Amino acid sequence: MSLKNVMENWSAYRKDAEAGGHHTYEHRWAMSINLDLCIGCNACSTACYAENNLAVVGPERFAKGQAMHWMRIERYWDVEDKEYPDQGASFLPMMCQQCGAATCEPVCPVAATYHTPDGLNAQVYNRCIGSRYCSNNCPFRVRYFNFYSYYESAWPEPMHLQLNPDLSVRDKGVMEKCTFCVQRIRVAKDKAKIENRKVKDGEFTTACAQACPTSAIVFGDTMDPESKVSMLWKQHQVTRAVYKQHKEDPELRGYRIFEELNVDPSVMYLERVRDTTV
Amino acid sequence: MVQWIRTRMFRKYAHGAFHPVSLGVALILAWSMMTSTGFAADVQPPGGVHKGVDVEQPIEFPHNIHVEVNKINCMYCHTYARRSKVAGIPPTSKCMGCHKIIATDKPRIQKLTEYWQKGESPKWKKVHDVPDFVHFTHERHLKKFVFDRDYPVEDVKEVCAFCHGQIKEMTVAKKVKPLNMGWCAGCHEKNGGPGDCWKCHK
Repeated sequence: MSLKNVMENWSAYRKDAEAGGHHTYEHRWAMSINLDLCIGCNACSTACYAENNLAVVGPERFAKGQAMHWMRIERYWDVEDKEYPDQGASFLPMMCQQCGAATCEPVCPVAATYHTPDGLNAQVYNRCIGSRYCSNNCPFRVRYFNFYSYYESAWPEPMHLQLNPDLSVRDKGVMEKCTFCVQRIRVAKDKAKIENRKVKDGEFTTACAQACPTSAIVFGDTMDPESKVSMLWKQHQVTRAVYKQHKEDPELRGYRIFEELNVDPSVMYLERVRDTTV
Repeated sequence: MVQWIRTRMFRKYAHGAFHPVSLGVALILAWSMMTSTGFAADVQPPGGVHKGVDVEQPIEFPHNIHVEVNKINCMYCHTYARRSKVAGIPPTSKCMGCHKIIATDKPRIQKLTEYWQKGESPKWKKVHDVPDFVHFTHERHLKKFVFDRDYPVEDVKEVCAFCHGQIKEMTVAKKVKPLNMGWCAGCHEKNGGPGDCWKCHK
């Protein structure tokens, strides 16, 4: 973004945050995760491992916090004065929130992470030099660093045949994170373009949403007002580009994590309603 | 002196009318540009050359005979190019469709027939290979440069030549274009292709 560009396209950069700020979007992929439906089965996480060539690191490295799970299930025991088994965990699937104003992007010294016209926080592995600045600046802790050349041991033959050819196998010294299954987005957009149409809602979905047995995860484009995900966002009166939601009905369950930091996450969670603590 | 002549020559035509010589030169230039590539101004083929190595294939397949002499369309054998990411290598059965009858006395065809009778396929080596982190789709490029422009499909080899060079003059294919990022990005810039990193990097 040169100064000349800024001066010439000043009005384009003066857009409201609701209109996407200084970005021009083609799509805005988003999610809705219903925590009332989430049973904490980890199917999404497993599907993500299979889809995105994620390495299994083993228990020692996992304990050091070097696991590569782009999608993880966080567990919370949120009722006070009660211990397991009197209290059951509540689950929260956590992955990259594809923030509209992402904190990881401006700190990258080599522009390996940037904002795409689809509203995604892209990570270009070839550019990444492994400074890990982005990871340290991410409030969600969803960026994962390749401390080792996992590909050497993670898929011993013949397991290497299970690797997904639609995305690269990352090497040592590179940061990686959830991409909202950009390889599927790419295929769907290519197909739509060839057929001279727009991408249809439900035409494709992410691996986690596909694997979810209770359909807790819904994926789609919020720029398409008819899509299931934008209906859900509207239904729960969750809007983008705000740091505090103004709801007519406070009973509505939709919220975004760390909204108050004004990072504009693309994932809406629907709060869990608990009758019992188990 | 030169400057003086130039101003004298062009003064007459300075207000709207075209100088006959310059008009002629412009026409010849435009004509030669159109005929040399066969493309009007809407497409600018990528420039750049690469000195590739000769690849030894199991059978020295003569592209030149198939394309130039027999006028076979590229997409007759590389049939997946218009439908998928990869152009595809034809199955041996496709070769044998013609070569059960045609040119059976040639040593190369006899070698092919040997493969066919053993039920094996020749282990063709990949010549034009982009790195694993690149998403490239033949389908979208053919749609843009051929089908969307109503470009005659029988001349598709000229579009293939953007990236593969003049295969019609080669026996076995040889890499003659750089196929690196700067080269791809240059063509994308000229022809309005996507500039987003994640369009190609995966």
